[in-house]
Amino acid sequence: MSRKQILFVFVLFLSMVTMSSALFAAEKEVKIGVLYPLSGAAATIGRDLQRAAELTAEIINNKTPGVDIPMAQWGGIPNLGGAKIKLIFVDHRGEPDRGADLAKRLILDDKVAGLMGAYHSSVTKTVSAVAERYGVPMINDSSTSPELTKRGFKWFWRTTPHDDYFNRDLFELLKGLTEGKVKGIPAVPKDKLKNLAYACENTEWGSSVAKSLEGYAKEYGFNMVKGILYNANSPDLTSEAKTLVAAKPDGMLFASYLSDSLLMIRTLKGMRAQTNFFWGQNAGFEMADFAKTLGADINGVLTRTVFIAKLIKVKKVAGQINALYKKKYGDDLTGATARSVVGVQAWAAVLNKAGSVDPKAIQKACNEINIPANELVMPWAGVKFDSTGQNVLGRGLIGQYQKGADGKIDLEIVYPFDLATANFIYPFPGWK
Amino acid sequence: MEKVKDALDFTDFSGVERFVLVVFSIFLLAFPWLGAGSFVKAVMIQFLLFSLFGMGWNTIGGYGGQVELGKAQYVGIGAYTVSVSMVWWNIPFWISMPIGVLIALGYSFMIGYPLFRLKGHYFAIATICTSLVLQDIFTNWKLVGAAKGIELPIHEHPDFLYMQFKSDTYYYYFIMVLFYIALFYMNWFRKSKLGYQLRMIKDDEEAAESLGIDIRWCKIKAYSIASAFVAVGGGFMAVYNLYIDPVSVMDLDLSIKIALMAMLGGAASLWGPIIGAAFLVPLDRFLGSWLGGHKGLIGVDFMIYAALIMVVSAYQPRGIWGIVEQLRGKGK
Amino acid sequence: METLIDALLQGILMGLLFALVALGLNVIFGVMDIVNFAHGEFLMLGMYTAFFTSLLMGVDPLFALPASALMGVLLGLASYYWFIKYLLRGPAIAQLFGTFGLMLFLRYLAQFLFGIDYRILQKGILIGKSFSVGPFIFDATKIAAGALSLVAFAAVYSFLNKTKTGKALQATALNKEAASYMGIKTDKMNAIAWAIGGGTVGVAGGLLINFYYVYPTVGLLFVMIAFACVALGGFGSIKGVFFAGLLVGILEMMFPVFGQLVGSDFLGPHFKFTVVYLAYFIIVVFRPQGLFGWKK
Repeated sequence: MSRKQILFVFVLFLSMVTMSSALFAAEKEVKIGVLYPLSGAAATIGRDLQRAAELTAEIINNKTPGVDIPMAQWGGIPNLGGAKIKLIFVDHRGEPDRGADLAKRLILDDKVAGLMGAYHSSVTKTVSAVAERYGVPMINDSSTSPELTKRGFKWFWRTTPHDDYFNRDLFELLKGLTEGKVKGIPAVPKDKLKNLAYACENTEWGSSVAKSLEGYAKEYGFNMVKGILYNANSPDLTSEAKTLVAAKPDGMLFASYLSDSLLMIRTLKGMRAQTNFFWGQNAGFEMADFAKTLGADINGVLTRTVFIAKLIKVKKVAGQINALYKKKYGDDLTGATARSVVGVQAWAAVLNKAGSVDPKAIQKACNEINIPANELVMPWAGVKFDSTGQNVLGRGLIGQYQKGADGKIDLEIVYPFDLATANFIYPFPGWK
Repeated sequence: MEKVKDALDFTDFSGVERFVLVVFSIFLLAFPWLGAGSFVKAVMIQFLLFSLFGMGWNTIGGYGGQVELGKAQYVGIGAYTVSVSMVWWNIPFWISMPIGVLIALGYSFMIGYPLFRLKGHYFAIATICTSLVLQDIFTNWKLVGAAKGIELPIHEHPDFLYMQFKSDTYYYYFIMVLFYIALFYMNWFRKSKLGYQLRMIKDDEEAAESLGIDIRWCKIKAYSIASAFVAVGGGFMAVYNLYIDPVSVMDLDLSIKIALMAMLGGAASLWGPIIGAAFLVPLDRFLGSWLGGHKGLIGVDFMIYAALIMVVSAYQPRGIWGIVEQLRGKGK
Repeated sequence: METLIDALLQGILMGLLFALVALGLNVIFGVMDIVNFAHGEFLMLGMYTAFFTSLLMGVDPLFALPASALMGVLLGLASYYWFIKYLLRGPAIAQLFGTFGLMLFLRYLAQFLFGIDYRILQKGILIGKSFSVGPFIFDATKIAAGALSLVAFAAVYSFLNKTKTGKALQATALNKEAASYMGIKTDKMNAIAWAIGGGTVGVAGGLLINFYYVYPTVGLLFVMIAFACVALGGFGSIKGVFFAGLLVGILEMMFPVFGQLVGSDFLGPHFKFTVVYLAYFIIVVFRPQGLFGWKK
């Protein structure tokens, strides 16, 4: 080795030492605090949300072949010098005050660039209040209480459509039914659908769904003949079910968690309740256990959702990410987990647009972001926030449980009409 | 004046206890400057809050010996009064909190009067029932947000009148002041006439009655004092979390937590509730947040928590303070 | 009228089950003066036992009943010998918190072992079946649960009143000291009380799993109702807990129907248990020893 070479190596070494901090900076991470219910009553769903978020971060951080979106080829956030997204998960157990304390920890101790979560609308309320107070951006991926984006917050954005969208979807579907727009059946006279009744669980979520359903019923000219709020933890729902049946509605609408949705349907079946259709506001009605437990009984039951495995037929990206998720964890993506995917995607896009972890820059990026539809796993028109922070391009689906030729119960899309994957079953075929 | 002197007079405690109190006070004062993280600070605030609750519970539950399991309803009354008056009429915290305390006092007299016809287990279950009834009412009361709860408006700039600050340090010092007021009050209370009467009632109701003590009235008074304490804490929770709902401020779990901490630390002693809170609050928060992320360990933190309660209640019914006294050879 | 009778009948069925859940609580209380907070967790473990016996061994949930009864008995005995015994030295308030600790421990043990998923049985002779009598429709599982809980009640009642051990148990309940002078071992009686308490609630769990789901915190729902039943009927009174259970069941079912009849949305099902608690409070204020109680 000549002297020159030695000198060269030496200089290289020196420059590396001095540059190492800069190099290190280039390899740095962007921390995002994620609050999910990882223990307590909602731990199952919390775990799934965490998995979906982790998977998405992996796809963005490493160049992932086979996923046809630009983000999957980034290998980190390009405009941040390839910085990796690091998700810090914390467990709020569904308790609003615990969520607030943890949000402070994430903001002040872990110095995260932003927050994501928190699934429960009640926890999202306290967490976003903390974020607002400290001026740290929060992107909410999965809380659907309409009020969250009606508070005039400057640091809060929500990717998922909220319950008002979903409830309006139901009435659009009903309107479509009367106009003969629904796939596979002729128009239904309105007086066969006019009288509706709902039973909603009486926490924050169910009671706001109830309020919104009443509003839309009036707007669309339907008649809400009965509405009850009930305690999801009730040991018995007989009297609730009896109240519903006694009102003789044309359709029964529910906002129920898993346990009470099972009990409610079983109780109604026990009473041989007759009505033209059943509709569930997601949650319990959409979970895999609902179909697994009730089997053929729910042939014809409707549920609002945002993502159905059948979507992979019409959306390529959804199929690719779903395949990765299924390979890793053995399940299909669901409405909840797919939203978690979009939440992380939104964060990545926002960070890239901001090109900085400065809160002000992120705030500006959030307000200007426009993620095109083809990059999302969701059947949405994209992600674009209005002045309240709500994504205006999201939309919901309505699925119907249908018994396939093989006797298995599957969720088919019946709304929006352009995405319908099967003929609509109407009226409710009756109990087996 | 006499009362204030009594309240500040800790001379009947041993030198060690007084020394610990002074060191502890210095620690509390200096805590925000010790460089602890914000999560630790939040845990400290919880600790002070639950000490406050526990000290309140101690009047009726500890000194009075009545198994009171319905304190959450008064947390709720305090929290709701503050929230509702702030949201509807924009009334500052410093006015709404005293109103909340007054409502809690009034309500506690109203409910305490029939309640104290009951004894023992009938009483314990009745306190749970009244709390559940109130929670159900608030859960369905549309005017106060029903199950959705109430969100307090966030003020852009720190506002002392509405107790809105950006930094937790202010909240910390505020709850610390409340904590000391409670501590001094309890120090007076245990030496007061009512304090002695309650202990007599606890030991032997019939004997107390024969001495001309109006048992029911004494209990009602102690119950109301406890309720007032708890309502103050409830008001604090409202401005601190900026969101309340019937589950977070009125749940049975909260009632039980309050009584549990006081019991575990040592009921009917001045330090008991503080010690109890110092054990259980960090256990709950730190262990919970540490284990929460570990799949497969769900529930382990609560098992440890429960085992601690079981061991203490079986080994020394007078709680951790009882164990301390036993070790010092002072206990029975 | 029809709806009222219907609600009454449904209420009696639920009431029988509530009474069975509360029975064990009351036996333990009568003998030892302890309110067992962990009672709901016994119920929960009884449900899990029936659930897994039925699922893993493929037997009908109704035949899994002995397994859950046995589980309950063992649990009762274990709790007594390993834990409750040591609590007896302390005051009532410490005992209460001791059992509260036990409750938390069992609950989170179950969470650790079985996870937090809701589990409900999908197969069984009676599951999902219903039959109609005149205008009334009944769930087969609820009829079976009601009938079997009646049987269990009769068994416990005759055990307490017909057998020597049962009488000794009652003697202990009446006066511990006097009974021990007569050669009745308090310790043994306590253990028997816990065995009966655990056994009956285990059976209740086995019956409940036929139409309800199980998850680690399911106990709390039922134990609160059981508390109200026990206190309403009178601590220590078997007859009292039976009628109180029926009363609670009927109140819970009739109240919403009543609200419907008067056309009030306010008196809806969301207040059905509020009414139970309120009824307890009011009754007990006027009768501080409960409806049938003799102990104060």
